[in-house]
Amino acid sequence: MERKAVVEIRDMTKNFGITRALDRVDITVYAGEICGLIGENGSGKSTATSIYAGMQSCDNGQMFFKGERWQPSSMMDALEHGVGMIVQENGTVPGITVAENIFLGESARFRKGPLIRRTEMIRKANEILKSIGADHIEASAVTASLDFQDRKLVEIARVMGKKPEVLVVDETTTALSQKGRDIIYDIMDKMKTDGKTVIFISHDLDEIMEVCDRLTVLRDGKIIRTFEKDEFDEEAVKTSMIGRELKGDYYRSDYDGSYGQEVVAELRQANLGDQLKNLSLQLHKGEILGIGGLSHCGMHTLGKVLFGAVKPESGEALVHGKPVRDEAYAMKEKVGYVAKDRDVESLCLDASIRDNISVAGLDQFAVSRFLILPSKEKAYVKQQVDDLSIKCRSAEQYVSALSGGNKQKVAFGKWTGRGSEILILDCPTRGVDIGVKQAMYQLMYRMKKEGKSILLISEEMAELIGMSDRLIVMKDGEIKKEFRREEKLSESDMIRYMI
Amino acid sequence: MELKSVMNRYGLKQKIFSIAPLFGLIALVVCFLAAATAKDLNIAYSMKNILNQSVVVAVIATGAIFIYTLGSFDISLGASACVSALVGGMVYNATGSVTLMFLTCVGVAVAIALINSVLASVFNLPVFVTTVAMLSVLNAVVLMLININGTGSQIAVPTDAVAGLNTTWFKLLVLVLFFAVCLFVFDFTKIGRLQKFLGGNPVCAKLSGINNKRLAIIAFVMSGIAVGLGSFLSITYAPTLTKNTASSVGMDVIISIVFGGMPVSGGARSRIYAAVVGAFSMTFLNQIMVMFNLNSGIGQMVKAVIFLIVVSLAMSNQRNKEILPR
Ligand SMILES: Nc1ncnc2c1ncn2[C@@H]1O[C@H](COP(=O)(O)OP(=O)(O)OP(=O)(O)O)[C@@H](O)[C@H]1O
Ligand SMILES: [Mg+2]
Repeated sequence: MERKAVVEIRDMTKNFGITRALDRVDITVYAGEICGLIGENGSGKSTATSIYAGMQSCDNGQMFFKGERWQPSSMMDALEHGVGMIVQENGTVPGITVAENIFLGESARFRKGPLIRRTEMIRKANEILKSIGADHIEASAVTASLDFQDRKLVEIARVMGKKPEVLVVDETTTALSQKGRDIIYDIMDKMKTDGKTVIFISHDLDEIMEVCDRLTVLRDGKIIRTFEKDEFDEEAVKTSMIGRELKGDYYRSDYDGSYGQEVVAELRQANLGDQLKNLSLQLHKGEILGIGGLSHCGMHTLGKVLFGAVKPESGEALVHGKPVRDEAYAMKEKVGYVAKDRDVESLCLDASIRDNISVAGLDQFAVSRFLILPSKEKAYVKQQVDDLSIKCRSAEQYVSALSGGNKQKVAFGKWTGRGSEILILDCPTRGVDIGVKQAMYQLMYRMKKEGKSILLISEEMAELIGMSDRLIVMKDGEIKKEFRREEKLSESDMIRYMI
Repeated sequence: MELKSVMNRYGLKQKIFSIAPLFGLIALVVCFLAAATAKDLNIAYSMKNILNQSVVVAVIATGAIFIYTLGSFDISLGASACVSALVGGMVYNATGSVTLMFLTCVGVAVAIALINSVLASVFNLPVFVTTVAMLSVLNAVVLMLININGTGSQIAVPTDAVAGLNTTWFKLLVLVLFFAVCLFVFDFTKIGRLQKFLGGNPVCAKLSGINNKRLAIIAFVMSGIAVGLGSFLSITYAPTLTKNTASSVGMDVIISIVFGGMPVSGGARSRIYAAVVGAFSMTFLNQIMVMFNLNSGIGQMVKAVIFLIVVSLAMSNQRNKEILPR
C-alpha cells in the first residue's frame, strides 16, 4: 500500500544560543499512523514538534503538511489549519472558564452584537467535553479550580474541538491517571482509524511500543534511527536512545519490604472535603510508602497536608510526633516536598537553576543561615546539577529554557540536595527519561537504606510496585487497600481497588 | 546576519538587554556633556545641580526596589517623605538637634512603612491596598502638621543649621553607603534572595517554606529607612518645608525604577542598581531638555513617550524568551 506522507520535516535546525536543540532533523509521518518520538531529556522532541505546531520558528529547514509548504504563524494558526498539539505542561489559562479555554481566541464565534452568548458557548463546550469522554468537567467552571488532570483534559478538548488532521501529544500521559490515559488512547485510536496522523511523545517504553506503529529516536538533536513496528525491541530502542547500554537495576531488586519501627510522619483522622475522609496513615523510618489511585482519590492533597501546605478540616498531620504548623516548620524537621504541578508549585520558571535549587538549601550553605557566599552557593548547586545530570548551559540558565524532564530534575534536586530526611514526592519522575529515572530510583533506594523515609505518590503503578515497601491504594479520600512488598504484586491487583 | 549569530552564540543579546539601562545612562551623560560644552556651561556646577536633583529620588527608589521585587507597589512613598521631613523639622525647631532631626525622619518613615505592611499582613490584604489608604491619610496629616505648627503654610528649619550638610560629599556619602547596604542585603543575604524568589512565584515560594509576610515587612522597613534618609537630605537642601516638599518624589521614584530596567513584576530579574541608574538618567534627561529650552509641558510629554518606549522594550524582551509551556 502506498503511504501518504502528511507531516514532513526536512533538514530542520534550531539553536538556542549555544545550545543546538535540533541538528538537521528529518521526520516523516504518514496518514493513518501513530508515530512515536522518543529520546533522552533535552534531545529535542518538544522543540521539533512545537515548531511544527506553530509555537516557535526554526532557524533552518522546511516543513510540509499534506505535500504543501507548511509555515504556521502561531499555534492558533496551526490548529485552525489542522495541526493541534497537547503540550507537556500547562496549556490552559487559569483565570478563565473551561468554556473560554476551549474556545480560546474564538469568542467572535459566539458574538451577537457587542455581547458574547455565554450559554451557547458553555453548551458547545460541554458537548466537546462529552465527545472526548470528559463529561465530569463542567464547562462553566473556572479552570484554576480544576486539578492537573482535568486541566489537561480541557486542553485536549480545545484541540479536539477543532477536529485536527494531525495531533501531537507531548509527554502527557505520565501525569494522568488511567482514566485520563484511556481518554487519550481512545482519541489516538480513533484518529488512526479515521486515517489521520498522530505524533506521540513519551518516556514510557512499554506504552510507546504498545501504542505506536513506528518509533523515531532522537539523541542530542539528531535523528538516530526509526524503528518499524516489527523491529520494536526494548533493549535496542533503549540503546539507541542513550547511546550505550543501560546497566544495573532499574527499580530496586530486593523483595525485602522491611523498615524501621519509628513513625516519622503521620496523619491522624484527617478530613478535608471529599479529598480526605477520616484518613490515618503512618510513615516509618527507612520506609518507602507508595500511594496510588485515580487522580481524584485525594492522594495529591494528602501530600500537601503532610507538608503543612494545606490544613485539614479536622484531624492532624504530625512529623516526629508534633503537629506540622506550616511548610517552614516541616522544612525545619527536614521534610521535603516535590509537588506535582511542576511549573507552578515546584519551580519558579522565570529564575535561574541556581535560584531554584538554592532557595530550599539556604540553611545548608549560607553562613549563619544568612550570608550567601557565591563560591559556596555555586558548589552546592553544582553538586545537584552533576548528581542529576541536569542538561544545561550553566546553572545561571533560566529554568524556563530547560526541557521538561530537566525541569523535573531541578525540582527533585532542590529537595534531595538539602538532605531531607522525609521526602514527600508527588509524581517525582514525571517526564524524566529512563536513564535519569533509574538514577532517581537508585537514589531513593539509597536514601531508604540510609534510614530516610519517602512517601511516593504516583500515577505510575509500575513505579509504585517497583519501589514501595508498603503500597496503599486510595479511592475517594479513603484507604482501600494496603499491599506489602512482594514479587507477585501486579498492576491488576492494584486496579481492582482503584476503581 | 553574521553579527546576529555571533551574539546568539554567546547569549550576548540577553546580557546586552539586561545592561541596556546603563548604556542609556552613559549615552545621556555624553549628550549632556556635549551640549553643555557647546553651550559653554559650567560643568562642575551643573553636575552638582544634577546630584542635588537626583539624590533624594535615587535613595528612596533604591529602598523601594525591595518592594517592587516582591511584585508589589507603594504609592505613598512621596507623602511619607513629606510627613517625615515635616516632623523632623518640628523636632529640630523644638530641640535644636540635627541628630534628633535625623533620627526622627528615619523613625517616622519606618513607622509609616511598618503600619503599611503590618496592616496588610494582619488583614491579609495586598500591601498595595494599604498604601493607597495610607496616601490619603498622609496627605491629611501633612496639612494638619503645617496648620498647627507652622506659620500657616510652612515649617522652616533655619538654613544655617543644615548648611554644613548640604554638600556634595555628604550626599554622595549617604547615597553610596545606603546603596552598599542595600546591595549587600539584596544580593548576598537570604533576605534578598528569598524576596526575589517570592516575587517570581509566590505559590512555589510558599511551598519552599518562605514566609511572605515577614519578607514584605522587611522590604517595607528597607524602603522606610530610604524614605527617612531621603527626607533628611531634602531638608538639608531645601530647609523651608511646605506641603509641596517631596511632592514629585512619589512619581519620580516609580519612573526611575522602570527607567533603570527593573521588571514591573519583580522576581529574579530585579536589579538593585536600577533605581540609581534610573534616577540619574531621568535628571540628565531633564537637564538636556532644559538646555534645549523645552518647556516643562513638552518635557513631560517627552518623558512620557520615553517611559512607554522603555516599558514596552522591557516587556518585549521578556516575551521573546519563548517561554514554552512544557
Ligand atoms: N527557550 C529555550 N531557550 C534555551 N534553550 C532551550 C529552550 N527551549 C529548549 N531549549 C534547549 O533545547 C534542548 C531541547 O529541548 P526539548 O525541550 O526539545 O527537549 P525534549 O526532548 O522535549 O526533552 P524532555 O524529554 O525533557 O521534554 C534542551 O537542551 C533545552 O535546554
Ligand atoms: Mg519535552
